[in-house]
Amino acid sequence: MNKIVKFYHEMGSPPSFYRITGYWLKPLFILALVLTIYGLIDGLFFAPPDYQQGDSYRIMFVHVPAAWMSMFIYFVIGVCGIIAFVWRMKVAEAVMMASAPIGALFTALTLLTGMLWGKPMWGTYWDWDARMTSELILLFLYIGVMGIYSAYDDDPRKAARLAALVAIIGLINLPIIRYSVEWWTSIHQGASISLMGGNSGIKDWSMLRPLLVMALATKFYYLYSMLHRARTYLLRTEQNKSWVTKQIIEN
Amino acid sequence: MRFWILLQRDVLVAWRKKSNIYQPLVFQLLIVTMFPLGLGAGAQTLQKIAPAVVWILALISTLITLENIFKDDYEDGSLALYALSGLSLPLAVLAKAAAHWITTGLPVILFAPVIAVLLHLPAYAYGVLMLSLLIATPIFSLLGTVGSALIMNLKNGGMLLSVLIMPLLAPVLIFGAGAVLETTLGNTPTGHLSLLAGCFVLSLTLAPIAAAAAIKVNLE
Repeated sequence: MNKIVKFYHEMGSPPSFYRITGYWLKPLFILALVLTIYGLIDGLFFAPPDYQQGDSYRIMFVHVPAAWMSMFIYFVIGVCGIIAFVWRMKVAEAVMMASAPIGALFTALTLLTGMLWGKPMWGTYWDWDARMTSELILLFLYIGVMGIYSAYDDDPRKAARLAALVAIIGLINLPIIRYSVEWWTSIHQGASISLMGGNSGIKDWSMLRPLLVMALATKFYYLYSMLHRARTYLLRTEQNKSWVTKQIIEN
Repeated sequence: MRFWILLQRDVLVAWRKKSNIYQPLVFQLLIVTMFPLGLGAGAQTLQKIAPAVVWILALISTLITLENIFKDDYEDGSLALYALSGLSLPLAVLAKAAAHWITTGLPVILFAPVIAVLLHLPAYAYGVLMLSLLIATPIFSLLGTVGSALIMNLKNGGMLLSVLIMPLLAPVLIFGAGAVLETTLGNTPTGHLSLLAGCFVLSLTLAPIAAAAAIKVNLE
């Protein structure tokens, strides 16, 4: 119990956060790399072709994990935003701002792979279907968080507080956007195209396995990349503190 | 009491500078002219896109006015005085939003039929159009205070404001333009209007708090 409380407090202070996460980077990176390589090889070569979509469904092994990450990371940003806004924790600000570009990248990757998948399957790169539209709006939310931060770059703490506010507003709005978009498309074109039928559609373990491995791989990649960014963020925003000077002298 | 004084002052300030009021309307007129020029003047084509265009124009013409809701007050220091005056900041924000609605939202609603005529919107949809705008223009103003408070001390915040506001306004556009569209198709717009009213209540309760929080951060 005591150890957990101590760990929790240590993670809240920039110097200890920097020191502790330093040990995690390498294992996380190796895990992410190994899992990605395994997942991709398994997904691209060993998983059986889909009875309906043939081989082109294999883009799913990138598309679906990226889509999961795009939503998961926004959730992380929103929670960190609340912590940063209410308790003004520097580490929460660092995690929030470190997560934003990664989340935006995953969102863009989701859209891109979705478009590439859509061309052979639906015959079009883009269709204003509910999921695609809300994913696109999610990208705007990410851009908003990063935009407000970079607009106030002369005062990082203020910038982070305003970005946290934007993130919180976005978090409240996300379900509203989600449902409004869903109702909007259901009004206009009936049921939208759904070849997957949700995740319950995949029953075959040899198809599910690479998907889950890739989902894990993206999680580890996110952790690695986010911690790396958060550490640099802390070094930059805390550059006048003595612990940073000590770090630099030691290295 | 102070709420009404603040509201009166803001309406008066906007009224003294008439361009604040007619600029959005002129903008709408300019843009609506481009649609027939670009699409061809066929009444049927225009009629089809009319609900969306009238709505999007109302939205964009409001959007271009949002940037300045707090800017002047921030620059001449009166915003700091509001924060110090003992009037609760969300209430002050509400007064600003109300003043903004009276000076931009109301003219936009009254002007909407003109745009609708130019686009051959069927006459029986006018009532729903005005009603949907009546519910939605306060939402524009309320959410606008949030965006405006976030960017009030930036030099070129307009683009950022649009990025911040657009995701929030997407549901409003869906329900609002949807209500008019349903009417033109002969369906009942009640569902859309109720959801729109829900958005209004939500932004009425949450937007002033969010905007006040942003102002506090910006005044620190």
